[in-house]
Order: sequence, then structure tokens, then C-alpha cells
Amino acid sequence: MANGNGLTLRKSVESLELSASGLNALRDAYGKMQALSADDNRGWMYMAGVHGFPQFQCWHGGRVGLSQGALAYDLFLPWHRAYLLNFEHAAKDQNATVSLPWWDWTSAGSQRIGVPVSFSTRKLGKNPNPLASGPVPEVRSGRVPGLPASPQRRTTRSPGDPSELPTADQVNTVLALTDFVDFSQQLQDIHDQVHGWTGGRTGDMGTIVFAGFDPIFWAHHCMIDRLWYLWQLRHGVQNVPPDYMAKPLAPFALTVADVLDIHRLGYEYAQASSSH
Amino acid sequence: MPTSPKTRSRKRVTAKKHVTPPISTESLAQNFLRADIVFDGLDHSGASFEARIFINNPDADATTELTAQNRYAGRFHVFGHGGCFGDVGHCEVRGTPRPYDPRPAHPLTPMRKVVIATDALRKELKRSNKPLTLTIVPVVRSGTDRCDYENVLKFDGVSVVTYA
Repeated sequence: MANGNGLTLRKSVESLELSASGLNALRDAYGKMQALSADDNRGWMYMAGVHGFPQFQCWHGGRVGLSQGALAYDLFLPWHRAYLLNFEHAAKDQNATVSLPWWDWTSAGSQRIGVPVSFSTRKLGKNPNPLASGPVPEVRSGRVPGLPASPQRRTTRSPGDPSELPTADQVNTVLALTDFVDFSQQLQDIHDQVHGWTGGRTGDMGTIVFAGFDPIFWAHHCMIDRLWYLWQLRHGVQNVPPDYMAKPLAPFALTVADVLDIHRLGYEYAQASSSH
Repeated sequence: MPTSPKTRSRKRVTAKKHVTPPISTESLAQNFLRADIVFDGLDHSGASFEARIFINNPDADATTELTAQNRYAGRFHVFGHGGCFGDVGHCEVRGTPRPYDPRPAHPLTPMRKVVIATDALRKELKRSNKPLTLTIVPVVRSGTDRCDYENVLKFDGVSVVTYA
């Protein structure tokens, strides 16, 4: 889905659910990616495996960089922006009209029902709904004694009570923070909360190792990326510590400076929203 | 493709809480604009959990209501790695980087969490300027069979920081 400028227009899940064509494109793209094998780098399992098992290249929390005594830095927001962009292009390779939707967990609908219907309906006809679950590759036991193996399977969720999701007030408090590191830390905490809420006791969204295999992961991170964009509109697009700019966002061929302006990345977020 | 869950059934285990030794309030700014409770060296290798913080309430546990009356100060959340899915040593955090090693630090490098607790700390310091104890109650949200649920809360230190 593109606007008049050729930019990909990302919309909320709730608005996507009102449009059969947008929802069908998403189902089509995700279904085709999920049908590819774990070894195919165009596929669902490969892309999810960049974040968790087996590649573990995701970025959460502050880490120390090159050389002893270097300051900690946190690439949580820019790394996931680069990740979403690459994933969205992999989805477009399967269906050129697709765009990633955001799941607004602060909306009245989410606070009432939790996971949106389009992502929670288990089956479409006789087939698994590609928005409700995704394939997870076989996990071998490894050489660590006593660790269980599991065959290839589909993701599960056991979400909490919808009233426990973050509220618009919580989000607005975080959006008012003026320092990027402060903002990133507090937004990451809300992000962490939603991961645990969605996965529940045994669900895949609840841990880094398997979260990316669940289709709602991408809608959750689209919301996080959108909130960063809204923060940037208020506090400045280039507002990151200067020493962040040249940091690479491995394995993507992008630096932090490259991902600050979403329009340069070829997408934007729809203006309409239920809560912001 | 089977749709069976990835984990075997588990017994519910209560995560151990932590009560800090008294934390001096003498060096805190008077009339601060903001007050944070800062956790350093926080482990995130295992289960995902919520950590609830109570001030001067050592009896607080996972059933304690999150109210000012119970001296609830705020909470943080950890999106846990989920346990180790590699071979022996896979999740051992590398030490100090050697010279010319361009890699960022190990993904499981312990992290920092900052809980903004301005109102709760202001109320507590109005009551008394005696040292504070913090009770941190972890509530596990999610995990895998490779997680230690009982000892999910592990950190190097906690401090109270105020901004005037």
C-alpha cells in the first residue's frame, strides 16, 4: 500500500481490518513467507531467526562497545527499525501491495479484547490463519545435558487480561520525555511489558528466543517504531546521542544515521489513530 | 506441522523476592523534580517478568496490591532471553572486549532499568528521612523449559537518584 509520494503507508491493525484488500495482502504475504523452509532467506523462519533462535542478532538494553571502558549504548529502537524495514521488503517480495500494520494496544478496542481479531482467529477456512501463528523451526537439544528438543511447530500465545495492557496515559508520559536514552529506556519497558502479556506463561511472544516467529510481533514492533516516530516529530528527527550515528545495525547494511528519517526509508505512518 | 506447545507442563514456582539493605537518603536532593530507582547489572537471560517495587514494606509479595497505602513505588519489565538454546557456553557473557575486537558486547550483557518513582519517593521522604529499604517482588510472565523461575530476579545493585 503506497501513498501519492510512493511511500509505503503503514496503518493501524484496526483500520486494516476495515479494508479487505489490505488484510488479504497481509495474509497472502505472511502465508507465502511461512510456506518457505527455514533455510530460505526470503522466508518467515529465516527472518524471525535473525531476532531470536538461532541467530540472536536483536538489540535490547544498553551494551558496551568497542574498547575497554567504552560507554554503554542502546540500539533497541534503530535496530528494530532496520529489522522491520528489511522484513517489510521481504513481505513485499511476496505481495507488492503489503505494508506492516501497527497494533495499538492502548486503543479502546485492544483494552477490551486484547489481541485484535484478525490476529487471534485461529483458522481461515481449513487452514491456519497466517496472522495468528507462524512456523518455528526444529530445536535440537544441543550438547547441554538435560535440555529438551522440540520438532518444527507453530507458535502459541496465552495473553493476559486486556485491562493490563499499557494505557494511552502511560505512553503519553513516555512521549513527553526529552532525552533519547531516557525515552528509549522507558519505551523499551512498555515493549517488554507487552511481550510478556502477549506470550503469557508459555507463549512464544514472551521470550526473545521465539518472539519473532509470532505474527503479532511485527505489529507490536510497528507500534513501537511509530511511537519513536511520534517522539521524533516532537523532539527532533536527529535527536540521538552523537556517538550513536555511525553505529552499524548488523546484519543490515544500515547505520543509526541511516534510519532516523523514516521518509528516507520509504515509508510513513497514517495520521489517523484512535488514541494519539 | 504439529501445533503442540513448545513446552512441557510446568509446576508454578514462586519467584524469590529481594529486600535491600537500608539505602541512605542523606545525599538525595531536597525538592527534587524527578526521582528514579535504578537497577544495574540486571540479568535478562531467563524468563520474562515484572518486578514490583515497594518502599519500606518488607512483607510485600506477589499478592500485595499496587497501592500507595502499600507503599508501591513502580515496576519494571524484563523481556527475557528464554534460557540457553545453544551448546555449552553459548550464553556465557564474554568478558572485557580484547583490543581490536569490533563486536558489540554479548547480547546477554546485564542491563540497566530505570523506574521513575517521583511521587512515591517524594511521599516517603516527607514521612521520614530515615534510610529506605526496597522490596522487589518478581512476577514471572513468560518463559520456556530452559528458565530458572525461582531465581529470575538477579542484579548487581540498586540506587535512588534524584534530579533537582
